[in-house]
Amino acid sequence: MTSEKAQAGPNAAPRRRRRIGDLFVRWSFMAPSIVLLIALLAYPIFYTIDISFSRFDIATFGAGEWVGWENYREVMSDYRFWDSLEVTLIYLVIALPLQVVLGFGIAFLINAEWKGRGLVRALFIIPMVVAPVVAGGMWRMILDPLWGIMNYWLGFIGIGPLDWFGDPTLAMASIIIIDTWRWTPFIVLIATAALLALPKDVFEAARIDGANWWSTLWSVAVPLLVPVIAATFVIRWLGAVKMFDIVLAATYGGPGKATNVVNLFIYEEAFRSLRFAESAAMAVIVLILTMVLTGLFLRGSRKLEELF
Amino acid sequence: MSAIVTPAPKRLRRSLGHNLRIAGGVIVSIVFLFPIYWMVLTSFKDQVDIFTSPPTFFFKPTLDAYIEYMTRADIVPRLINTIIVATGSGLLSIVVGTMAGYALARIRLRGAATIGVLILLSRGVPPIALAVPMFLVARNLGLTDKHITLILAYSTFLVPYVMWLMRSFFLSLPRELEESAMIDGCSRYGAFFKIIVPISIPGLLSTLIFSMILAWEELLFALVLTNRHASTIPVAIAGIAGDTVNGANWAALTAVGTITVVPVVIFALLVQKWLIKGLADGATKG
Repeated sequence: MTSEKAQAGPNAAPRRRRRIGDLFVRWSFMAPSIVLLIALLAYPIFYTIDISFSRFDIATFGAGEWVGWENYREVMSDYRFWDSLEVTLIYLVIALPLQVVLGFGIAFLINAEWKGRGLVRALFIIPMVVAPVVAGGMWRMILDPLWGIMNYWLGFIGIGPLDWFGDPTLAMASIIIIDTWRWTPFIVLIATAALLALPKDVFEAARIDGANWWSTLWSVAVPLLVPVIAATFVIRWLGAVKMFDIVLAATYGGPGKATNVVNLFIYEEAFRSLRFAESAAMAVIVLILTMVLTGLFLRGSRKLEELF
Repeated sequence: MSAIVTPAPKRLRRSLGHNLRIAGGVIVSIVFLFPIYWMVLTSFKDQVDIFTSPPTFFFKPTLDAYIEYMTRADIVPRLINTIIVATGSGLLSIVVGTMAGYALARIRLRGAATIGVLILLSRGVPPIALAVPMFLVARNLGLTDKHITLILAYSTFLVPYVMWLMRSFFLSLPRELEESAMIDGCSRYGAFFKIIVPISIPGLLSTLIFSMILAWEELLFALVLTNRHASTIPVAIAGIAGDTVNGANWAALTAVGTITVVPVVIFALLVQKWLIKGLADGATKG
């Protein structure tokens, strides 16, 4: 295409044109997703920020006059918002470590070499493709205080009957159980791959040196696994902060507000109470909190990767 | 003498530990699969067998729940909607996201690293922060309750997801592949579409299927952006599960739940090898 012109004109112009052409080609791979994500991700975020500083106008169904920090002040003094943040925090602090530890533990178990290993690993995919809303509904049936099979079984060991969704602590426990059931298999799969990738000779050396099972685990396996564990934690965190479906299907935030995670609270405020400006302010706060913590976790996991 | 004797108990102990591991693994699998088994089982029970104490494993199976809910309660149109939306958003995201993933892995672009970090961070954006403005914009543009709205909304989390998975996939391919193609006179597009895409088909397919699964089970955007014509199955399930007026309709819940889960499980098991590899690479090769 450029060869004829290269002969005709001075050398610099076509070369630059070719370079610009190549630049165009190179960016054309990136462009569709940039356009899409600006239109559907960046723009909505800015629109949320816009609404959060405005009085919501029901007539035009959009941002009205500018009110500054008013929505933020109102939200920050709303104890219900703080309660929902607290509920979310409790859920995260218990569920995340539990799932990571369980996931790696189970991966160790199912990695034992035998002829059923492939089958067991494949079966572990099944819970993680069950829609969270289905998981919530199905566990609601299992944990039903009257007819549920869980209380029936617990009866054999002298526990219960437990009012899983009627007691605030138990309701939080059941949310964590359901979430752990749904998401641990995901960690198991990642952990399985990580365990298989561990260098065999190091363990052989540890065995020859007479290290016992426990010290092999703590001084050899865990240090080698730390980067993967950190990465897994970050990925699971990114999913867990979006917690919504399971709570909606299983408890709808109840009893009272005991399991009302922040996403569900904002959803209710926006689409049930039509308080869009306040919801936007809360969404922005949650967005910033999430971003800051994600950035911290990413940096932390990079640091750990360098250390080990 | 002792030198001959000592290895034996050691091996015995090791094999005992090994067997315990196997047994533990099997028990844990059963624990994790039981809830699904129970749901499927319950979907074939009639009301009397569902509400019985102790819970029963043996009963006369019936298809009543399926027949009732496949003919009523607009489950079928919602299934079709879910298929349309999952396919549409899956295909859109795989095309757009794969190209970007390739650019991030292989093409030197100024600022690409920054874009990569931004995209990773975007996976932390809480969907509720997008749902509110999307609802308002869609409403003002008259785009609520349309398939395309949901397809576009889902691409906000699927495109970054595909980008990230495919980036690590492309990084694992040898660089010589497209370098030699481009020396042979292939353009960048040619190298990508004729060389890279064909050998990436398994990875692309599993990423596509996993994206479709994510779209298939999405609830929040579907709740917010649709109400009748484009409403999806998760919305229906949330409705059944949350129906506190009529009390829990377990027959409906389990039947619709089973219909939702079975096709996804079949797909996931078909591509399980790639699924596991893709997930693991996506997690460990960040």
